[in-house]
Amino acid sequence: MSTAVETHELSKRYRRVSALTECTVTVPEGRVSALVGPNGAGKTTLLRILAGLASPTGGTACVLGGAPRQDPAFLAEIGFLAQEIPLYGRFTAEDHIRIGAHMNPRWDSALARTRLAELRIPLDQRVGTLSGGQRAQVALALTLAKRPRLLLLDEPVAALDPLARRNFLATLASGMADAEGGLTVVLSSHLITDLERVCDHIVLLTGSRVQLCGDIEALLAEHKILVGPRKDTAPIERTHRVVQTAATPRQSTLLVRLSGPVVDPAYQAEDVTLEELVLAYMGAGEASAGRHLTTVGEGS
Amino acid sequence: MTWLVWRQYRAQGAIAVALLAAAAAVILADGLQIASHWHTILVTCAGNSTCLQQQGPLVNGVVSDLPYISLIVPVVLGMLWGAPLVGHELETRTSEFAWTQSVTRTRWLTVKVGWLLLAAAVCLGVITTLITWWAGPGNARFASAFEPGHFDTQGIVPIGYAVFAMALGIAAGTVARRTLPAIAVVLGGFIGLRLVISDFLRQHYMAAVTKYYSVTGSFTPRGQAWVLAQGAVSRTGRVVATGWGDLYPALPASCQKLLPGTPGAKSGASLDAVFSCMRAHGWRGFVTYQPASRYWPFQGIETGIYVLLAAALVAVTFVIIRTRDA
Repeated sequence: MSTAVETHELSKRYRRVSALTECTVTVPEGRVSALVGPNGAGKTTLLRILAGLASPTGGTACVLGGAPRQDPAFLAEIGFLAQEIPLYGRFTAEDHIRIGAHMNPRWDSALARTRLAELRIPLDQRVGTLSGGQRAQVALALTLAKRPRLLLLDEPVAALDPLARRNFLATLASGMADAEGGLTVVLSSHLITDLERVCDHIVLLTGSRVQLCGDIEALLAEHKILVGPRKDTAPIERTHRVVQTAATPRQSTLLVRLSGPVVDPAYQAEDVTLEELVLAYMGAGEASAGRHLTTVGEGS
Repeated sequence: MTWLVWRQYRAQGAIAVALLAAAAAVILADGLQIASHWHTILVTCAGNSTCLQQQGPLVNGVVSDLPYISLIVPVVLGMLWGAPLVGHELETRTSEFAWTQSVTRTRWLTVKVGWLLLAAAVCLGVITTLITWWAGPGNARFASAFEPGHFDTQGIVPIGYAVFAMALGIAAGTVARRTLPAIAVVLGGFIGLRLVISDFLRQHYMAAVTKYYSVTGSFTPRGQAWVLAQGAVSRTGRVVATGWGDLYPALPASCQKLLPGTPGAKSGASLDAVFSCMRAHGWRGFVTYQPASRYWPFQGIETGIYVLLAAALVAVTFVIIRTRDA
């Protein structure tokens, strides 16, 4: 399967602050990838580099077969929706659709109009006067009307109420269905629960570094929660990677990335949920902030 | 891309056209009145400039400030069109919407800047044509065609001012990423540069002509020349400005005694005697001036300066937009 996004040791420094540090990420084509991490982890920076809005200070990015660049052919392939949902507040949705038609080669005005009609969003009202959820829907409809091959969405649901959030994700899902595998999506959020239903791939960033990257099902299969008596974890750590440890006086709970079977019968292995996995890696990333952490390997 | 510009500016464009039409109506109505008055005066004065100057204002009082339209409009355009052109888009981040359509930033900027600079130039072209026509009769009253409020409200320079003010606003908005500071930069920068150029630079566009003449005679440059300095110069090259206060102490003692009304003045003292005495001592009169024939070359040079500065500012804007992270 070809890759939609591939970065190699991608870094971005703003004066003395590092927004991205040696990020190596792969997103296969046709996937919906959740870009997860706490605020300030570098999610926005990564998306902006992929969209060609910012340039990296180190490493390389390859998006749909080439480096992100200011070139009409490249830009036509990318749909980008910034967190602030930038639209011309004084223009109507219809104005935006017509602007899009004038500025894009593969534009599908009918698609945008139908989608907004289904959502009962008025086309002739200034978008500045629409609700936040409606504005996000307009912006998403416009981005989909561009018929991109890669859709980059930065915290698209962060500001939405639960109903608007569900509608937004439903629109996204129908957009994916329309594209019949020709569309790859990377969408960021600081909460995985927002995205769990639509995503099958995950990239986890903390403190400007990649902690986890891969297919969600494969990652869940690779990780187990081991519950056992409280004792030295050194034997486990020799074969597996212990991501997180929690202990009571009598028992310890380890979230472990397995590399082979667990031989110690004292431990009972349990499946891990995506949320537990993400929180464990986020916790590990936070704890090691300041220390130099080697990037956790690639999944899938 | 052009459609986006049209959509963004059609309302402002309509307002601009309406204001322009209103201004044109006032200028035309007033100008026709002046023209008829002018013809009446011509009959009596028949080209005698002294007579013309005594005819009082050719302009009726209410609209005598019309030339200020060409002074003010360039800076207003710089603030209202130039400063927000990029600044407002960066501020509201609509630039990110535009820059992620299938149009490069360079093309986006080229089309926006191109149309808006053209619009500003056309606006000022219309205004300056009307004002130049309107001011035609009144211009006869001026001793110099290069005076501020006269030279810089007519001809082609107002177009240069408008293009520069726009470019300054565009560049400032790009650097500041906001509209308000850019408006301040246009206001301060435009007025500052205009003052510096009109007060210090304009007179040096071409080497001034200095004419020496006998102090017993007189010399006046032809037409509405711009007199930069005049006075007397001694045999040793000492330069003294006109006016007896400066001249008297510099004169040889024998000439001083010929000036009427001074202590120890000889009998038979007269100004003519002083001048003859000065000539005998090798004094000459001089006038340093820019000839009236240089009016259009000066207009061209000044317009060129502003257009070149504007081009530099636009070039800087392009470099920033292309290379800086959005």
